[in-house]
Amino acid sequence: MKNTPRDRLTAALSRCCVIAALATLSVATQAQSAGLAPEAKQILKASTDFLASQQRFSANTRNTLEIVLKSGQKIEFNSTGRQAVQRPNKLRSERSGDLVEQLFVYDGKSLTLYQPQDKVYAQVAAPGTLEEMLDFARTKYDVVAPFGDLLFKNAYDILMDGVTEGIVVGKAVIEGVVCDHLAFRAPDVDWQIWIQQGAQPLPRRVVITTLDLPNAPQFAVTVTQWNLEPTFDAQTFAFTPQAGVKQIDLLPR
Amino acid sequence: MSRIRNLKTLVATTALPLLYLVGVAPDAPAGLTLLQEAHAVVGAPLTPVSVAGVARRTTRRVVVAETSATQAAAASTATTQQQAATAQQQAATAQQQAATAQQQAATAQQQAATAARPAGAPAAGAVVTALPAGCKPVTQNGVEYQNCGGVYYRAAFQGNNLVYVVQ
Repeated sequence: MKNTPRDRLTAALSRCCVIAALATLSVATQAQSAGLAPEAKQILKASTDFLASQQRFSANTRNTLEIVLKSGQKIEFNSTGRQAVQRPNKLRSERSGDLVEQLFVYDGKSLTLYQPQDKVYAQVAAPGTLEEMLDFARTKYDVVAPFGDLLFKNAYDILMDGVTEGIVVGKAVIEGVVCDHLAFRAPDVDWQIWIQQGAQPLPRRVVITTLDLPNAPQFAVTVTQWNLEPTFDAQTFAFTPQAGVKQIDLLPR
Repeated sequence: MSRIRNLKTLVATTALPLLYLVGVAPDAPAGLTLLQEAHAVVGAPLTPVSVAGVARRTTRRVVVAETSATQAAAASTATTQQQAATAQQQAATAQQQAATAQQQAATAQQQAATAARPAGAPAAGAVVTALPAGCKPVTQNGVEYQNCGGVYYRAAFQGNNLVYVVQ
């Protein structure tokens, strides 16, 4: 190629453009990693405090779980859930969907895992509070309540542990409800939460993106209905196996 | 129990791609293969369902895949652990024998079953997410086992997942 003055100008200009573009990119990156926006923390804290102050509530949810096949292909599984909580020591969580139908009951003394289609259940003694039980179930048995983080009274501290960045994305509408959309980053995990605007700052949707797994699979929960004045009866937090249902072991992790 | 964990760690570190495999009959249709494959992956809940679950996990629960390749790899490396565990089991068996005649009979039956274990059978203590075809339920001392061609499995929950432990 002939190196005419015009060519040199073009080359210089394109270098300029590249530098300008890089500079813009760098500014954008800096803006993104600006740390934790106080407003994002504030909205989240208001939500977790509000939920912690609710003594009894129930929520219906729609869950999607992505899994990654050996080929790299992502497959999504859907389920619905019903959660009933009575602080300080009662929980009932049902989920049914593509893969599994399961009931999880905690009555303050023991926790039970029941899988109706296989007619089996497991039951173990459990600690005396909801928070202790969730920790116990996770650390001793690897039993994890889908997005159980929110049930803790100190949910804010659990969620914010290790968080390096947090922003308010903007307003969004989830299930017809106007929400604030927040996005946070921590090592190995990006997560987003949509919090209802107004006097009842309830979480309406959560998305967890696991960054250290191939193709970064996501788990998402949408709350289709919140009930802050639920009616519970004696059976809500009790488990009585039906005839033909067998007890099996829950393997310690 | 530590044997199972070690086995899982081993498989997790050396044979990650194999985790996505599960025992499938050679003539199984593609759809079934995908379903079982997917189920196997979900059986190992690799996609955390809580923020703390991502941040805090120190060990990742993994379901040992039921393939001969995995078993061969796992079995050969885990032999020492298995021997130790077998010694423990033998000690436990001795205690049981002292306890009741009924338990003696049961132990003898189990030993017979172990002795008659078919070639290529999964190692005792292995955990699978699905039973092979043609299993028959057998109840011993009030515990239900699945007899699958001479290999006995016992149902259990491992985390939120229903699994079968090879006896």
